[in-house]
Amino acid sequence: MPCKHVIGHGPELARALAAWRSVASLSTLELRPLEIDPAAGQAALACLDGLDDEGASAFVALDARFLNGMRLDLMASLRLRGIAMPALVEPGALVAAGVRMDDNCWIGAGAIIQHGSRIGFNTVIGAGAIVGSGVTVGHSAWIDEGVVIGRGARIGAQVTLGLGVIVGHGRQIGKLSIVDKAGRIEQDIAARTFIHATHAQPIVIIGA
Amino acid sequence: MRSRMPPQAYIDEAWFARERELLFKPLWQFVGLKVMLDKHNAFITRTLFGIPVVVQNFHGALRAFENICPHRQNPIQVAPHGVRPLFCGYHGWSFDREGATRIPHEDALYRFPQEERACIHLRRFALEVVGNLVFVCLAETPLPIKQQFGAAMLASLTASSLAYDSEVIMTTYEGHFNWKLAYENLRDGHHPRYLHARSLYQDVKFEASISEEGVAGLRRLQEAGIADRNRALGLMRSFSGGGRDAPMAAPPDEPYHAHVERYRDQDWYYNWLAFPNLHIASANGGHAFIIEHHIPVAAGRTDLVVYYLTAKKKQPYASSAAVLHAHMMGADVVMREDIAVMEQIQRTLHPGARSSHLGDYEYINASLELWYLDLMEGHFAL
Repeated sequence: MPCKHVIGHGPELARALAAWRSVASLSTLELRPLEIDPAAGQAALACLDGLDDEGASAFVALDARFLNGMRLDLMASLRLRGIAMPALVEPGALVAAGVRMDDNCWIGAGAIIQHGSRIGFNTVIGAGAIVGSGVTVGHSAWIDEGVVIGRGARIGAQVTLGLGVIVGHGRQIGKLSIVDKAGRIEQDIAARTFIHATHAQPIVIIGA
Repeated sequence: MRSRMPPQAYIDEAWFARERELLFKPLWQFVGLKVMLDKHNAFITRTLFGIPVVVQNFHGALRAFENICPHRQNPIQVAPHGVRPLFCGYHGWSFDREGATRIPHEDALYRFPQEERACIHLRRFALEVVGNLVFVCLAETPLPIKQQFGAAMLASLTASSLAYDSEVIMTTYEGHFNWKLAYENLRDGHHPRYLHARSLYQDVKFEASISEEGVAGLRRLQEAGIADRNRALGLMRSFSGGGRDAPMAAPPDEPYHAHVERYRDQDWYYNWLAFPNLHIASANGGHAFIIEHHIPVAAGRTDLVVYYLTAKKKQPYASSAAVLHAHMMGADVVMREDIAVMEQIQRTLHPGARSSHLGDYEYINASLELWYLDLMEGHFAL
C-alpha cells in the first residue's frame, strides 16, 4: 500500500493528520506521522534520513516559525529526494476552478479561494480565510485563520498574516514580512517589515 | 549612601529642559549606523531633544542638517530612513552638501532681497564617524569627540563596530520613563540575577562586586567636589567604557555563526557604555550586536531605538532575515523586563519622594550623579 509521510510538530501535525484522514481513502493510503523537534534547527532534517521513499508521498505540517523557513527547509529536502507532495484541501474549502495551487499547500476547512488566484508552494491558508479574485500568494506563506485578502492583492514569499488581518484590494505585502496585528492594511508594506501587536512601531530590516 | 538626586530630576519638565541645554546640546549624540548611509542620497532622520536632524550621504560625504526647510518649516526628509535626494516635497526646494538652497521659480515667485537670500541655507551640525557609528553635535562649537569618550573608548568602538554586517534590523520602543533610569540600570550589575533571572542571566552570570579603588575615588569626589572643567571632562570620560564584561555560561553555538566573521574569538558578553545614552552589547561572544540608543523625549518619555545586527557575513545566506528577526524577538524579552521596571519606578516617583539609597557596589552611579548634579547646579559647564 502506498504511504504518505506526514512530518511536523505539535498541533499542526495533529491537525494535518486529521485532515488527511478525512480526505484520503485509508484503505489505499497509509499515513505515517513523523514528529520532529523544531528546536533542533537544521539537525531536525536528519530525521528524514530513514524515510522510505519508494512510492511514498509526503506532507510537511509546521507553523510559521523562523519566517516559515523551517517548513521550507523540510519541504526542500523532501523535494530533492523526488518525493511527491500534493496539496491538502480540507473538506468545506471552496477553491474556484482554475486556481493554481502548488506542492505542499494546505487549504483549511471553510477557506474560500476565488477565481484567478495563485497560491505558491508550501503556503498555508487557514480555516475560514478568504482570498479574493486575482490574488497572488508567494511560496511558504502563512495565512492565519479568518484572514481576508482583497482582490488583486500580492502577498510575497514567506509572509505571515496573523489573526484579524484584512489586506485591502490591490495591496502588496513584501516578502519575508509579518503582519500580526489585527486591522485593515490600506498601504503597501515593504519586504522584511514586521508588524507585531506587541510593538508600537514596526520592526524593519535595512540593507543586505 | 543616600542619593542626592531629587525626584524632580526624573519627573519635572523644567528640569528636563535645563538638562537638554546643559548636558545634551554640548555633547556628541549617536544618530545611526554608517551602513544605513552607504549610498548616495541615503539618509537617516531623528529628533534629538526636540530638534529634527537629517544625516544625508552626498556622493559618499555625510552631512548633518536641521531637517527643516527654510521656506515653510516643512520637514525635508519625512521617513526615518531611506534613499532620496535632500528635497522638500512642499515647494520643491533642494539642498546641496553645504546646505545651500536651490529654489525653483526663484526670480518669478520669491524675489528675496540679496541679504536675505544669503541667509537661506540649512543649519548644519557637526558630524563624526566612529567606525560604523555616526554621531552629531548640536552645539555651535562642538567639544572634540575624544574629550567626551576618550581615545581608548573610541578605539574600542571603532574596532568593534567595523565588525558589523550591513544588514540591520531595528525598531523603536516608546518608553514611559526618564532616560537617566536607563543609564543607571545599565551601570547596575546586580539587577540581572533578579530581573533577568529567566532570560539573560541564564546565559551570562553577571556578578556585581565592590571596587575598593572605585569607592575610594567616590569618597574623594564627595569631599573635594569637581574643581574645574578639565576635571569634569576627565570624570565624564570615565563613565564611558567597553569590552569584555562577563564570561558566557556555555560557548555560543548557533547555525548562523558559521556564516559570519566573528568579532574576536572569546566566549564573553561584551558591553560598551557610551555616556550619556548609548549602549552596545554582544551577548554571544561577538557573533552579533545589539545597539540601544535612549533618546530623551520628555521628563517621563524616552524613545529606545534598538538595532540588531550580526558580525559581517562571509557571504549572503538564505535565513539571515529570520536570524535577525529571531534575535530581535529574543532581545525583546530582556528589554521589556528592563522597560517594565523603569516604567514602574517612573510611575512611583512624585515630587515628595525620598531619595534612594545606593550601595558601595553602585559607586559608578554614585559618581555619575555627583557629576551630573554639579553640572545641573552650574558648578561647571560642558
